Amino acid sequence: MSQQFFELIRPDHNFDFVGKTKPLLISSAILIVLSFLMLPLNLIIPGRGHALNFAIDFRGGTEMRVDFSKPVTPGEIREAMDAGGYKDSEVVPLPEFKHAFLVRFPAVSALTPEQAKRAESSLRDKLGQESLRKFEFSDGGDKAYVRLNKAVEPSQIQDILRAADITTSQVQRFGRPEDNTYEIVLVGLDQEIRKALDGKLGQGAVASIPSVGSVGAKAGKELRDNGIVSLLAAIGFIMLYILVRFDFRYGPGTVIALLHDAIFVMGAFAVTYKEFSLTTIAAILTVIGYSMNDTIVVFDRIRENANKMRDKKFSQIVNLSVNETLSRTILTSATVFLVTLAMNIWGTGVIRDFAFAMNVGVIIGTFSSVFIASPILIWLNDKSLQSQKKPRRSSGTTPA
Amino acid sequence: MERSFYYRVATYSLITILSVMALLPSLAEWTNKSERLPDWYKKAFSRKISLGLDLQGGLHLVYEVQVDKAVSDKADRLAAQIEEKLARDKKVKGARVIREGDGAEARLRVNFQNKSDAKKLDGSLEREFAKYLTRDGQNEQTGETVYKMDADYIDELRSYAVSQGVETIKNRVDKLGVSEPVVQRKQNDIIVELAGLSQADFERVKSLIGKTAQLEFKMADDGSEYMQKLSAHAESKKAQYVGLDVGFDAWQQKDSGQQHTDVYLKAKDKAVLEKFLKELPPELTVPSDHQILFEQTSRRNDDGEETQDKVWRSYYLHRRAELTGEYLTDAEVQWDPNTGRPEVGITFDSEGASLFEKVSGANIGRRMAIILDEKVSSAPTIEGRIGGGRARITLGGFSDPYQLQQEAKDLVAVLRTGALPAPLRKTFETQVGATLGPEAVSKARTSMVIGTLAVVIFMLIYYRTAGLIADIAMVFNVVYLLAIMALIQATLTLPGIAAVVLTIGMAVDANIIFYERIREELRAGKTPRQAVENGFGRAFWTVFDAHVTNLVAGVVLYSYGTGPIRGFAVSLMAGIVCNLFTSVWLSRVMFDFLVGRNKKRATLSI
Repeated sequence: MSQQFFELIRPDHNFDFVGKTKPLLISSAILIVLSFLMLPLNLIIPGRGHALNFAIDFRGGTEMRVDFSKPVTPGEIREAMDAGGYKDSEVVPLPEFKHAFLVRFPAVSALTPEQAKRAESSLRDKLGQESLRKFEFSDGGDKAYVRLNKAVEPSQIQDILRAADITTSQVQRFGRPEDNTYEIVLVGLDQEIRKALDGKLGQGAVASIPSVGSVGAKAGKELRDNGIVSLLAAIGFIMLYILVRFDFRYGPGTVIALLHDAIFVMGAFAVTYKEFSLTTIAAILTVIGYSMNDTIVVFDRIRENANKMRDKKFSQIVNLSVNETLSRTILTSATVFLVTLAMNIWGTGVIRDFAFAMNVGVIIGTFSSVFIASPILIWLNDKSLQSQKKPRRSSGTTPA
Repeated sequence: MERSFYYRVATYSLITILSVMALLPSLAEWTNKSERLPDWYKKAFSRKISLGLDLQGGLHLVYEVQVDKAVSDKADRLAAQIEEKLARDKKVKGARVIREGDGAEARLRVNFQNKSDAKKLDGSLEREFAKYLTRDGQNEQTGETVYKMDADYIDELRSYAVSQGVETIKNRVDKLGVSEPVVQRKQNDIIVELAGLSQADFERVKSLIGKTAQLEFKMADDGSEYMQKLSAHAESKKAQYVGLDVGFDAWQQKDSGQQHTDVYLKAKDKAVLEKFLKELPPELTVPSDHQILFEQTSRRNDDGEETQDKVWRSYYLHRRAELTGEYLTDAEVQWDPNTGRPEVGITFDSEGASLFEKVSGANIGRRMAIILDEKVSSAPTIEGRIGGGRARITLGGFSDPYQLQQEAKDLVAVLRTGALPAPLRKTFETQVGATLGPEAVSKARTSMVIGTLAVVIFMLIYYRTAGLIADIAMVFNVVYLLAIMALIQATLTLPGIAAVVLTIGMAVDANIIFYERIREELRAGKTPRQAVENGFGRAFWTVFDAHVTNLVAGVVLYSYGTGPIRGFAVSLMAGIVCNLFTSVWLSRVMFDFLVGRNKKRATLSI
């Protein structure tokens, strides 16, 4: 009568998930705290310097037009840039020009912050405290601007900077003469890049670098703010839907679980210091969707069983439901994990980062629906029973 | 088999055929076989999935922000403020503040009727403007005082003009629905990168980006002495400026019956008018507190009907704007009840509304010009005090109703996103190639194929025949998803493709939920037919809830998000809908076929 299936997990299993939540909840909380801690920590870890390894999408950087003397591919250029220490560059071919490319890379300054400070203070010292009205240098650019109260010879500025160990290729007057603004062209970035590219692609590979400039972030403040607003709104509406379809006890568990997952993925990026780009945001959004999906399936079973088994303790019902859906939970995670793992192993660049986020997210998403969302549901259920203060049989009973 | 089964099969087949047809143009383009499709087909299914900047490249535009205009505009506003302050707070009569020069060279010249009034420009007033202006000199004889713009403030204004410009353009391109555009700042320039659009779309985007969308309301100085002199001069120069003519306006104010007349210049060619004004003798130059702007109107025939004949005419206006687009809260396309032509209705905020009411109340019988980007769009006569804060902009230029409507829509889009703080000038335009080289794309393709195959094989091993059904459903799922993306003209980037592949992994999820349920039913001793019936029935709400919560998230992300978030939301929503359809209904049909043929079969390959 009974049919045999190919099974990974025997249907009559009954693991005690609910009983084991406490240590897991605690370790989860610790990991979440660590995820956040990693952000300021990254600022001081040598070689890192940013909370997350923000891509040029968020940080802006340098854009350089490079003309080559022979045909090269974007991939070769990217490799050469990597080898020269300019990681995560973006190479855009300009087919209307001969062997020309736009190369963009995250802000690598021609002037370190200390150098910039030193330049400013020595200008102040030499020209008088009051005379320096403004010293302006944008991260990633190769030009600095000074505005003075009085006119000086450009060569004088160049000499002062040279004394401070900052070599400049040119200093010239800029803008209205009465403003006494000077443009300082710093040596460097184009020469450095030329060296890096020539080193890998052969001497004389770079014909010329016609333009260098700093570019702003693709994703500005507004995008960030909009992203946060839309995320909060999405969470609100999900809560509302769950409130309508389930009841209030089910909402917070789902939402906390998905926030947990999002933070965790971000933490993974903080720890590994992988590039954090707009694609990563998309991956985190996917993880959130996935995690929610997972949680809803488990909750659905809990709701169904709760209606059927009024006499059991709620925590038992939750444990039973988690067990019943376990096979499905593991299978789904396995299929998604398979796809993203393949992309992680055999993919490149952007795809790999996307797949990495998903790999982490799938595992965490599965974990959170069992060990985060369900305990919160049990806890809220107990709370609501207590607040109802009904002298029912026991405090753990499911409400009708 | 039941009748409904055949109905369902017929419906799903139809949907599938339509999807494939919608998808064909995109597939043909990717494989360079577009020319094999017949022309009628290309016309019927013109919508395609375009590939993103990373896969296909696109257009790279560089705009220079004309920051000097932002500085000049600010100088104009400061001039107006100083004039008002002098008149209202310091009780100085007849003081005039005039801007000279543009951009950083802008200077404000304060003229007094009485020399003694010059000392009213005292410390308290200057302190108020200290952030913006520094004194550049004072004429001992006339009391005339000159101010120049503060250098730091100019920097601030310029920087703001560029950063605000970037945000505004981003919003505009987003409103167009072009997915994943890149808009970023490069020093004082704005770089816009757009992925594979059609030539017509490129043109539309460019015109939208280029619109400053500065909306101004200025009063016409009707019946002025200056225009009399100017028209007399124009009459005498008709031979030199071919096509130049003088026209007369006459109107009666409805309530008071007061008569108004005015003269204006007109020509078919705007360049003639501009040339004439440029070459005016010094004694006839336009006074600095006035300006002359033009409107393109249709010539009326003898019956008073509009003709196709377009002509440019002048308006002599007070330079100061009574009201600007800054006070605008909303804009919408509406239809003129008389002509049925599309126009744009605008709504002011409360401050704008009260200003509008005040101005209209004080100028009954005069004409107020509505100016968009230095062009008069119309200049209606004010018949009475206008409350409520609403106005409308009529469109000239095109006469084709479809084009007019398109123009109205674009205008609404730019008005809603707000004016650019300074006009833009395109300095560079070039094609850019794909940022990902072929080697990177092929690697990504390999990884995705491996991932997909892994899932397909896994499902076959684990669920046998049912696994095959899930795999088939998955193929349909991808076809439908891509068809929807083609219909909404989505842009596909490499991460976007990864997301599509990911939906494959997730697509089998709903199937797994159903199958596990069916297995439970079978274990409980149900017949295959019952088990399928019950399994699909019971698990439906689980699948439904899981999908709808995701859909809710997608809708919210779409409505609040911008740029890449929006693009992501679109693929997400399309994926969810297709997923629900294939897993719930399409798979069910296949199962019904499987269990329906042999009612007595004891086992189900699942």
